[in-house]
Amino acid sequence: MRDKRTDLAAAVAAVADGAVVALGGNTLHRGPCAAVHELVRQGKRGLEIVKTAGAYDVDLLCATGCAAAVSAGFVGFETAYGMAPGYRRAVESGAVEAREHACATVIAGLRAAIQGVPFMPVAGLTGSDLPAARGFRAVADPYGGGEVFVVPAIVPDVAFLHVQEADRFGNGRIAGTLFEDVLMAKAAKRVVLTAERIVDGAGFAEEPAAVAIPALLVDAVVEAPGGAWPLGCAGCYEPDAAYLAAYTRAAKDPAALAAFVAERVLGQVGAQAR
Amino acid sequence: MSGDAPAPEHDPAVMMAAALSRLLRDGETVFHGVASPLPMVATLLAKRTHAPDLVYLGIAGGTDPEPRRLPDGSTVDPVLLEGSRSLLTLADLFDLSARGRLDVAFLSGVQIDGAGRINMSAIGDFARPKVRLPGGAGSAALMPTAKRVILWRTKHDPRVFVDRLDFVTAAGNVDRVVTPLCVFVRRDGRLEVESLHPGVTPGELRAATGFAVEVGPGTPRTPPPTAAELAALRAVDPGEVFRSEFR
Repeated sequence: MRDKRTDLAAAVAAVADGAVVALGGNTLHRGPCAAVHELVRQGKRGLEIVKTAGAYDVDLLCATGCAAAVSAGFVGFETAYGMAPGYRRAVESGAVEAREHACATVIAGLRAAIQGVPFMPVAGLTGSDLPAARGFRAVADPYGGGEVFVVPAIVPDVAFLHVQEADRFGNGRIAGTLFEDVLMAKAAKRVVLTAERIVDGAGFAEEPAAVAIPALLVDAVVEAPGGAWPLGCAGCYEPDAAYLAAYTRAAKDPAALAAFVAERVLGQVGAQAR
Repeated sequence: MSGDAPAPEHDPAVMMAAALSRLLRDGETVFHGVASPLPMVATLLAKRTHAPDLVYLGIAGGTDPEPRRLPDGSTVDPVLLEGSRSLLTLADLFDLSARGRLDVAFLSGVQIDGAGRINMSAIGDFARPKVRLPGGAGSAALMPTAKRVILWRTKHDPRVFVDRLDFVTAAGNVDRVVTPLCVFVRRDGRLEVESLHPGVTPGELRAATGFAVEVGPGTPRTPPPTAAELAALRAVDPGEVFRSEFR
């Protein structure tokens, strides 16, 4: 296995405008925010963001004009900070297309990609307007079991996943919940791991089952301490309440947001202070 | 509780926690998702009172967690893994519901109609909304597949409880809806008032509800929280996270 260590600027530079970008983590937890900040710094455009439930990461990419579409089940800051102001404004203005999913349909789409098939059946969705709004089709069970909704494969061009610990080959260990990170790692054409720390990894051989993301799936590994900040990272740090409150306040107004991004996002890229 | 706090039966947050908890049965497998502090507390309350063998599954991935403190602000917080001896992914939870093995899912709606359907997607047109809402998360998959869906909403007014949804994000097996004013039960596809919380008048409920409801002097009252429920609530949630949706 080759050494896949690189820096964030190089890992992100390989993302083309218009790419389908999957982001690991869930709402306020373990989103790959160092990578998201670098996407903003490099001024990417036209991205389609894939996530089951996003918050700051998705909102910032919408607010800064990087995203053109969001394929997600939920975008919001949960109870503490409420609705996602940047996402909301971008969708309401027409700048971003809300490709709303049930979270389970994101998972089904990723599973189709993983299994190399064009679509995946998914239970439920009956009585919902989502299939019509999103073009999810129902098909007859060829074995006579009635109708089932199917969703198309979701093949991310790149997945950014933030883990607590990785070795130089890209074996990633995750403390706590995996969220959809493993599915994304298998479904994406390219996988970039950012890690709180890159370790020698000799110890991984004693407990290979504890490695959530096998290096086989990974293309680049970046050491990024604080790489989920301002979101939380289990066992390392909690969501940054003061920052998230300041962000959601600023993001309600485009001028305030631009100033916030210039000072607090771009001003800190490369030095993920927290 | 401080001296000038309302009596528990007139405290909507306490009433909702108790009413939600009572709907859970011992031995059931119960799930809640993101932004769900009241279901989190109600589930822990049920486990501590009448349903010790209930299986608590949260979106954080824990199975029967015994957190030392409750997260204030996010119900995906890793503190909800504490005490869990095994983990499930979100995909595992959807699969569980899809194959008919999830007893209860807690869900909510920005709008809820008289059939117990929910809108979490958009106010106005879906493609070009006046207000883009967060999205239904897993509700379109869970609502038709979970055996029972319990909806909760801390605001009860005609903008929430509407006659017609702007968009149907999800529909399905809704059993009960708990609000600060009442408990609805769904019978023959329609929400009916099962009980009014103490102090709520029939006229107040009608005025707060955008769809037609049958309610009158004979409508049952939700029983006030018991001393045992109040003690258990203080034990599981000393920081009163169950109030966070009312702030």
